[in-house]
Amino acid sequence: MSVGEKRFLGLGLYTWIYITLGLAAVLTTAALTMTFFFTPVVLADTVVDELRVIGGVPIQNQLLFSQKIFYFHVPVAMSSFLVFIFTALNGVRFLIKKEKIYDTKARIATEVTLLFVLLTMATGILWTRYEWGTWWVWEPRLTTYFILTLMVIGYFVLRNSIDDEERRATYAAAFGIIAFINAPISFAITRLVPSSAHPVVFRAGGGLISSQLIAFFLGMAGMLLFAWSVYQIRLREQDITDRVEVAKAALEE
Amino acid sequence: MDPVLQEIYRTVLDGAPFVLGAYFLLWLGLFGYAFMITKRLKGVEKELAVIEESVSRRGAPNS
Repeated sequence: MSVGEKRFLGLGLYTWIYITLGLAAVLTTAALTMTFFFTPVVLADTVVDELRVIGGVPIQNQLLFSQKIFYFHVPVAMSSFLVFIFTALNGVRFLIKKEKIYDTKARIATEVTLLFVLLTMATGILWTRYEWGTWWVWEPRLTTYFILTLMVIGYFVLRNSIDDEERRATYAAAFGIIAFINAPISFAITRLVPSSAHPVVFRAGGGLISSQLIAFFLGMAGMLLFAWSVYQIRLREQDITDRVEVAKAALEE
Repeated sequence: MDPVLQEIYRTVLDGAPFVLGAYFLLWLGLFGYAFMITKRLKGVEKELAVIEESVSRRGAPNS
């Protein structure tokens, strides 16, 4: 059975892909709307939702507009970690079973990871520039995430440097598993190194209030649905490309 | 300029290019990628349909 012929709840995979892609667009738009219209603004590490006096006039909220990047930057970063799990999982499955499909799944998962990693870096750099006044700081979270970025790019460099299909898949699987080890390290580094400039957002006692959490989780759900959709589209594309190759070979015979 | 407005605009609008830039890059990246792969998928599907038709046409006289 090819990828596109799978069915769930009476609907084909194609239908599900477009449903989830549409849902991802709706959820991310809802997160965006909440971010700009409902979540209070933040000053440093504290939510400010009180009257302040600026120039002798009481003003509701001292706005730190740049913090609004958080509601998409963090879900994109978290998604990059979560999608990268599939690179490692499929790498392990390939090394055990030696079936091409797992290599294909690992490669596509890494491709989606690369997209999220690049977007995390781009949004993070803009945030860093405004908040800290510099484009880049060698602090633990940024450094470990930078290493992760290089490893994800390195995964494709490695693949392109090996011609033999079997060897390429084996090396890529091993590299993908090793590269993934950096993901939990990068995720937990703000807890392991408390001096990190990145605050621990989810902590005992709470770091976010409910409206912030809703916006965050809407964005998170949207990003994960988006990741699943594009992963499935790429898988389907690869499946058809393979069938085209087989059909072309049949024509040439 | 009104000092109150100046203070408000300074605190709010200073960050605006960075926030808007981040969201623009994000949406461009996500939906640009989705558009690109969907278009590519439709392309290979068309190619497959053409090739499969050729294969079946070639096989027809023998069947």
